[in-house]
Amino acid sequence: MINKDLSIDFMGVHFENPFCLSSSPVGNCYDMCAKAFDEGWGGIVFKTIGPEHFKVDEVSPRFDELTKEGTPFVGFKNMEQIAEHPLDENLADLKKLKQNYPDKVVIASIMGTNEEDWVELARLVEEAGADMIEMNLSCPQMTSHEMGSDVGTNPKLVQKYCEAVKRGSSLPMMAKMTPNITDMVPAAKAALAGGADGIATINTVKSISNVDLEKKTALPIVNGKSSVSGFSGKAVKPIALRFIQQLRVAAGLEQLPISGIGGIETWEDAVEFILMGSTTLQVTTSVMQYGYRIVEDMKNGLMHYMEEQGVDHLADLVGLANKNIVPAEDLDRNYKVYPEIDWDKCIGCGRCFISCYDGAHQAISWDDKIRRPTIDTSKCVGCHLCALVCPVGAIHPGKIVMKPGREGDPEKVDVVSQRLH
Amino acid sequence: MTKKYQTEAPGYTMTTVMEEAARCLLCHDAPCSQACPAHTDPAKFIRSVRFRNIKGAAETIRENNALGAICARVCPTEKYCELACSRSGIDVPIDIGGIQRYVTDFEQAADMHILKKGNSNGMNVAIIGSGPSGLQAAVTLLEKGYGVDLYERQAKAGGYLTYGIPEYRLPSNIVDYEIKRITDMGANIHLNTTIGEDITMDQLKADNDAVIVAIGASESKVLPMFENNDAVETAVSFLARTKDAQGNIDLPKDAIVIGGGDVAMDVVTTLKKLGVKHVTDAAYEEFDEFRASKKELAGAEAEGVTILDGYIPDSIDGHTVTFKHRHMNSKLTIEADKIILAIGQTVNANNLGIRLEHGESPSAGYKTRDEKVFITGDIAQGDKTVVYAVQKGKEVADEIDSILGGNHND
Repeated sequence: MINKDLSIDFMGVHFENPFCLSSSPVGNCYDMCAKAFDEGWGGIVFKTIGPEHFKVDEVSPRFDELTKEGTPFVGFKNMEQIAEHPLDENLADLKKLKQNYPDKVVIASIMGTNEEDWVELARLVEEAGADMIEMNLSCPQMTSHEMGSDVGTNPKLVQKYCEAVKRGSSLPMMAKMTPNITDMVPAAKAALAGGADGIATINTVKSISNVDLEKKTALPIVNGKSSVSGFSGKAVKPIALRFIQQLRVAAGLEQLPISGIGGIETWEDAVEFILMGSTTLQVTTSVMQYGYRIVEDMKNGLMHYMEEQGVDHLADLVGLANKNIVPAEDLDRNYKVYPEIDWDKCIGCGRCFISCYDGAHQAISWDDKIRRPTIDTSKCVGCHLCALVCPVGAIHPGKIVMKPGREGDPEKVDVVSQRLH
Repeated sequence: MTKKYQTEAPGYTMTTVMEEAARCLLCHDAPCSQACPAHTDPAKFIRSVRFRNIKGAAETIRENNALGAICARVCPTEKYCELACSRSGIDVPIDIGGIQRYVTDFEQAADMHILKKGNSNGMNVAIIGSGPSGLQAAVTLLEKGYGVDLYERQAKAGGYLTYGIPEYRLPSNIVDYEIKRITDMGANIHLNTTIGEDITMDQLKADNDAVIVAIGASESKVLPMFENNDAVETAVSFLARTKDAQGNIDLPKDAIVIGGGDVAMDVVTTLKKLGVKHVTDAAYEEFDEFRASKKELAGAEAEGVTILDGYIPDSIDGHTVTFKHRHMNSKLTIEADKIILAIGQTVNANNLGIRLEHGESPSAGYKTRDEKVFITGDIAQGDKTVVYAVQKGKEVADEIDSILGGNHND
């Protein structure tokens, strides 16, 4: 079995691997976090600890899932707030975790309602032995508007509270950002101005996942009503990657330490977040669906990827994709690539024909008798919708031609994805 | 052991049917939809399931097939829609029958009434026999505005659906529900009524605008060597009394079944499910030419039936049958408590005045020499499966309507 060093340093703290539980129901007590450590997670962000005076009062039920055909948990909606255990108990758990797992990283997520709360919580978690602080500035379902994403969208408050945390503790600190904002850069810069050492993102996306057609309210139904609340899981991955990319390419943030969050469930997802600039990774939804054991395949898959890439230090992969994601106006628009059909794979379902006609440029014709498509290059624009709908992966990029009057060498155009289908 | 006989295999749930529907490639001009003898459109109803429109899926099935819940269970789909399925190019075909069963079960649970009687045109058709072809003909005629009277010599309607196909494959309550749907539309079913005995054919013709003979091949063939032997029973008799008693019958210690079609598989599987320990089937065909559907053969094998392929009976002495192989130099002698013959069925068309050769009409189509009398089902030329019976039922009704004129605003 492959064994490679997955360790990485993040904000001055050494992680044996980049995989962490995110601050959520999956890290709600000592026993849960200890089990996660035992199963191989490198770090845990303990469920957000709030001030003594904020009483958590949860609804029941509190989750919902978005499905598609037979696939459960395409996305996950969650109404739970911060840790419901008493402050003392949470602090005692942090302390015990650090004592029993000295080589693992224990991160305290905290959330206050005012500067005093933030100072005090920061002091308390450092005293309890946490290695790192994460400021939760982003939970979208708090019952107080002085907490959560209402704070995280206000750069002034973000800076003020970051400064407060830094007054209360000298621990490395990351500010957890909300995606419920058009541009995350001003909030992230405010956090850094307030003393944050890095950014964790994304928290959940405000959502209504499903509507009950009889009761005429959203799910989950809480005694006849429901609320907007956070959405997570695979469906939010593209949104998370976009925010991380935009942070990493903002002027002055090129080396920003990021803990990436948002729909990670496979090693491929993990690599995507790393290539986009994440140093550590945080996971909740897939753990809620499958359990802590998923870390085994994420770690092993990541090791095989490093081996294939000839990389011995995980840090060498961080941010490698950032430079290859450019503004739309900077893309090469001088050529088009025609799809090519692999007749050994084609099973004659006609999906390419339907999608090309109804969703593209009517460039595929259909032979009823032999049940095979033909591509008409005079109409084909090279959009490759046909390749995406083909159920057997029989359509791939074929001949490349320069558009009329454009310069360039078709031989040198790079369009082939290596992703497994 | 009757529980095993009485229990149908579990069907899909909403989650699992969606998983199966998601495997469907949603083909253009889908081959499955061109492969159904009854012109069912699986591509359309599976697409409806995929987009969570189960009621729409039920409409697609039911508007085309009055026995959709029955066909879902008994149709040899491996020979039709599933044989044509493009998914086979990847792995295995979509379980079209299973999806159809989910949809029709949903239709029943939702108490949908999709089929409606048309505005009355004042004409009436008599149908002799209430098997699948007669039932479908009744529905098509009712939709066109005809009055319909079905005459059934048995105590229950449904023909082979009620008296032939075993409970674990086709539960009686499904058949009852399909028939109730048809009587709710306005069909009159006269039970325990034999034409030629209780009512004459001439009387029926006088009272109706047309008569359809849909009597089916309801009697088992018997080879001369098996006649007048107490150990011998026909498959038709065995399956009928077993289903009527819901499996509560006196069981033989062991049994030989002769035949290699679906009926033979039904008999051997029924015997095994009821607890008969030793069941041996002898089939004329070898496995590479077997007549029973792969599904029914696999079902029999899963129950542990011994199947001797390529063997024909050579002689019988009481309970002891000697078989010889058709091609190899091989003889086998087996003694059994019970010997059941499933070697094909014949037609009893006494007193109906119709001409048949080898159990079916000498000419193609549904007309007879008598312009008022039509035939359908097994006695019409063509395949003898339920799905063909349904299609023939639709076609004979259409033909009668085209002759009688019906509602011209159709």
